[in-house]
Amino acid sequence: MNQHDQSPLEGDAAASSRRSFLKLAGFSFATAAVSGCSRGRIEKAIPYLVPAEEITPGRAYFVATTCGACSAGCGVLAKCRDGRPIKLEGNPAQPVNRGGLCAVGQAAVLSLYDAQRLDGPMRGGAPATWEAVDQDVRARLAAIKASGGRIVLLTGTLHGPSTRAAIDRFAQHFGNVRHVMYDALSVAAIALAHQRTHGVRVLPALHFDRARVIVSFAADFLATWISPVEFTADYALGRNPDASPPICSRHIQLESCFSLSGSRADQRIPLAPWQVVPVLERLCAAIAQRSGRACTAARAGVAAAGDPVDIEALADELWQARGHGLVVCGQNDVSAQVLVNRLNALLDNYGVTLDLTRASQQRLGNDAELHELQRAVSAGEVDLMIVQGQNPAYDLPDASWLDKVPTLIVCASTLDETAARAHLVCPEPHFLEAWDDGEPHQGVYTLTQPTLPSLRRARTLRESLARWIGDPQSDLELVKAAWRDVVHARVAAAEPFDAFFHRVQSDAFVVAPVQDAVLPALREDDAAPLAMAPPAAGEHGLVLYASSAMQDGRHAHNPWLQELPDPITKVVWDNYACVSPALASALCLATGDHVRITSPELKGALELPALVQPGQHDQVIAVALGYGRRGTDRFARIGPQWLQAEPTVAAGALVGVNAAPWIRAGELALGYHGRAVRVARTGRRSQLACTQDHHRLEVPEHLRPHGGEVRDAVRTTTLATWLSSPERALLREPERDGQLWPADHRRRGPHWGMVVDLNACTGCSACVIACQAENNVPVVGKDEVARHREMHWLRIDRYYQGDGASTTAVHQPMMCQHCGNAPCETVCPVLATVHSKDGLNQQVYNRCVGTRYCANNCPYKVRRFNWFDYPHTDQLQNMVLNPDVTVRSRGVMEKCSLCVQRIAEAKAEARRQGVPIKDGDIEPACQQSCPASAITFGDLDDPGSAAARKAASLRAYAVLGELNVAPSVRYLAQVANRDHKGSAAHAG
Amino acid sequence: MESRNLRVFVMVAVALGAVVLIAATELRLPGNHRGYEPVQPIAFSHRLHSGELKLDCQYCHFGAERSRHAGLPPATMCMNCHRVVTAAWDLVLAEEAAAKAAGRAPATLFSPELKKLYRALALDDHLKPDPSLAPQPIEWVRVHHLPDFVYFDHRPHVARGLACETCHGPVQSMERVRQESDLSMGWCVNCHRSYPALPSAPSAEHVSTDCSSCHF
Repeated sequence: MNQHDQSPLEGDAAASSRRSFLKLAGFSFATAAVSGCSRGRIEKAIPYLVPAEEITPGRAYFVATTCGACSAGCGVLAKCRDGRPIKLEGNPAQPVNRGGLCAVGQAAVLSLYDAQRLDGPMRGGAPATWEAVDQDVRARLAAIKASGGRIVLLTGTLHGPSTRAAIDRFAQHFGNVRHVMYDALSVAAIALAHQRTHGVRVLPALHFDRARVIVSFAADFLATWISPVEFTADYALGRNPDASPPICSRHIQLESCFSLSGSRADQRIPLAPWQVVPVLERLCAAIAQRSGRACTAARAGVAAAGDPVDIEALADELWQARGHGLVVCGQNDVSAQVLVNRLNALLDNYGVTLDLTRASQQRLGNDAELHELQRAVSAGEVDLMIVQGQNPAYDLPDASWLDKVPTLIVCASTLDETAARAHLVCPEPHFLEAWDDGEPHQGVYTLTQPTLPSLRRARTLRESLARWIGDPQSDLELVKAAWRDVVHARVAAAEPFDAFFHRVQSDAFVVAPVQDAVLPALREDDAAPLAMAPPAAGEHGLVLYASSAMQDGRHAHNPWLQELPDPITKVVWDNYACVSPALASALCLATGDHVRITSPELKGALELPALVQPGQHDQVIAVALGYGRRGTDRFARIGPQWLQAEPTVAAGALVGVNAAPWIRAGELALGYHGRAVRVARTGRRSQLACTQDHHRLEVPEHLRPHGGEVRDAVRTTTLATWLSSPERALLREPERDGQLWPADHRRRGPHWGMVVDLNACTGCSACVIACQAENNVPVVGKDEVARHREMHWLRIDRYYQGDGASTTAVHQPMMCQHCGNAPCETVCPVLATVHSKDGLNQQVYNRCVGTRYCANNCPYKVRRFNWFDYPHTDQLQNMVLNPDVTVRSRGVMEKCSLCVQRIAEAKAEARRQGVPIKDGDIEPACQQSCPASAITFGDLDDPGSAAARKAASLRAYAVLGELNVAPSVRYLAQVANRDHKGSAAHAG
Repeated sequence: MESRNLRVFVMVAVALGAVVLIAATELRLPGNHRGYEPVQPIAFSHRLHSGELKLDCQYCHFGAERSRHAGLPPATMCMNCHRVVTAAWDLVLAEEAAAKAAGRAPATLFSPELKKLYRALALDDHLKPDPSLAPQPIEWVRVHHLPDFVYFDHRPHVARGLACETCHGPVQSMERVRQESDLSMGWCVNCHRSYPALPSAPSAEHVSTDCSSCHF
């Protein structure tokens, strides 16, 4: 291995050498025995000619920057080794995400090393030089300016001061320029509703931590809605049963499909999309009645027979928490959002849980403008359109209008659906190799800095626009200029700009003071809300939702995300039609049966496998967006290629099916909910790769030991029980004395362990990807996952709770429990898994011979076997590998090591500095990324450590503690804020 | 029965023979590269720098104190001295004497080995950057190499005050660096077993021999 790579592009032979080690070992034994001291390979060590200031070979350094995977604007610390980023971690100081980072953000580092990213611009479908493209664009722009033609910039949400400034200057230069923003997962109706109810177009900042009652109408705020990491952190803050006095918000979710937020709700009520507006209306009326204020928008007394919701009870709860409640709605429907605003206003929630002072700019899309743009383009009124950061040919229901643009320039990082139609393609850099900035909340400015020189001949839109108006400047100059004009004066006018910018570079964000916004008075005169028509008999409502991993589909080329099990369904590498068990039996469907979804309004059909999803509304079919992206057929042969291997993607097909054509293109807002469709079985079947039942902790009834106690793997209690008698709320573990090891086998030093708070965990799966990135966990492909051979060291078990009326779920991160009396250790014939002095269950790859006895004897089913050498042939992608962790080869067992490389690093640093390791110095990757701070690592023997204090909580228990394996990982039981004790948790 | 005894006897004999052969001929187990002494792209002399001039090891290998890898010095670090020292001292003295005798200014001498360094940095004869040349990193041949599943860390060893020679041998007397220890796991573990974990309490346990100290 070249120890001191000069440039990340020079390649890293580490991966192939590690993998081939065992393979070569047998051969080299013979060779070496004959040739004595011969060396198999000559290793080169190439030092820097001129050392880079911050780089010490072999040491990681962190670059503070901002995540660009979506427009939420989370702060990240990019962990870099030898000049290349290898992992993204949340920036604890940044006010948006406060240390957490979602799965998509974690996985974004892999996209940086995607070999299929565009390298250099294209003209007419052929590669071109930047000079030629610039010349062409300038000529076209000049002609349009001369003729007074119209130019349109179509982008996603852009809140960065520098990009805005560049667009403004571009618009000034050419005159007739319009900038239209839209979001593929639109929430435009919220801003539009505020325009109607308050007279200001604004997306309020939401504070879930201040809410005592949260009522969410289909808003998946913990997974995909607006700013999930921020909301998850807030949500967890508002639900802490260990605080004194305990805080626990009450969360009621009314939704048609099973979302991650719904799974965490205290009460989850199935509600079809067409029922949302009527329910909101009646809720408004009920609240208005309690407040004594009039509410013209709400037509009281439209209660339908068979009402799914107890409006009076809901109104009582909200009314009691008035001033500290929060009603949110994920349905992009202006009528519904207007009613939500009225509710929040009647409840005096504005100013507390909804904040207009630091209003959110994380979604600035305007669907009405998009609609108008489509009309204008179709009418031939637009002469040139520049598309950046969005993929309208894929994520809008109708893309035919794009072909009517005389000149279409697309700034994209890969040759996506839109770029393939473009006349000119200008590659966009990855956010880890470019300068950028943002303002996710008003007055919160973020900076994006490059972590390495650009791997591709790419250029930001900002720089391109500057060149096209004849004022070529570098990206850094443009960003600095905007910060000098916009930010510097607001934040630190007294400080010299260079010092200020230098300071900002080390944090990557700055918070400017803002004036308190005055909320305009609620406008009463409004049109009657438009309720969606329920589907006719024989029809069903189609709900298009964003999946946690794929979101709007822009990350579909990221294999980590494709192989991330969906938090609820646990399916990978596919999208599917979720149907409720009742609907499935009515249609004679089983999971895997293909269904054909048709609509009289649309040509074509959506054909995809069905999945039976408990907790879903019986009249609703839910399909995830973000699948069926162009080019995902590249993953056909992603797994190991062997005799019985089946491709991840069928010949000529893509990963999943694109459901975007089924979005309703409304005049005001894109509609994702409630299109009436017909569903029929096609007779075809295919297997969905679902991981939930692969590693079950439950022992079947007939195999249970006679007289043996069986306890729930997840434990829950109710807030009332917890408050009245915490001791009785949960079954405490009786202290066990049977020790496997004799007295002379004593532990020394710390006892590393972990505590996972099931009450905080939302199941968002950020930890799964964090672990994958940190520990070089390979991607195995759909076929191998279907054979129960996924390699994730950390999985999240989902346990459904409750009944049909309110089905929720508990999410349990499950990784190696580092048992004190480890069953795996006693069965290993070659001592490849042994206990360390500091309580770790060590897995020694170079000793392992692959008997798999350990995996068979592990009660938690957390050991993973390398059935194959998983492909590491892509040298560019190999740059993401963590050089501190061995890339395992075929035939060895592996599992969670509690990030032992981080422990070793902390120990070495502590020794170097001559200080003891402090509590909190070591953070495993999963803990670091957790948006809800659900995971705590530390020394369980140190009573002062955070982990030990949590492990001593009355909520703490060991999963399968009855086996007396003495695990070092403890779980804290969930405390649900519901009236009755939820019925026993069960897997399935 | 007899054939089975015979088979066992033959196997034992073969095994013993192999042991004797290995002992007698100094055949080694794979991965044991003791004595490896590759030719380097520049004939850098540790004997001169470390032995005669008594440069501290960590002046050049500064990574040993703060990183897992001791590292090799960047070429600019060589230039700290070799911007001035361009050739062997005795040759420079001879040139000065000759120049004095001839009544001319002494010429700047360049050692052929140092010329390789200047070439790598793309410097011309006056040690100024030469734009016509491209800098070329120096590809040293690595001498001490551990398998990829071993994560040795210099930091705790240096912090503990271990002399570099303990593992690397008398480098100060080596013209060209040679691998002195066999760097096998047994060799590591033997030392770990005999060292107390804490220097202050020699009676306490020895330093960690946990697998995960080095393998992860």
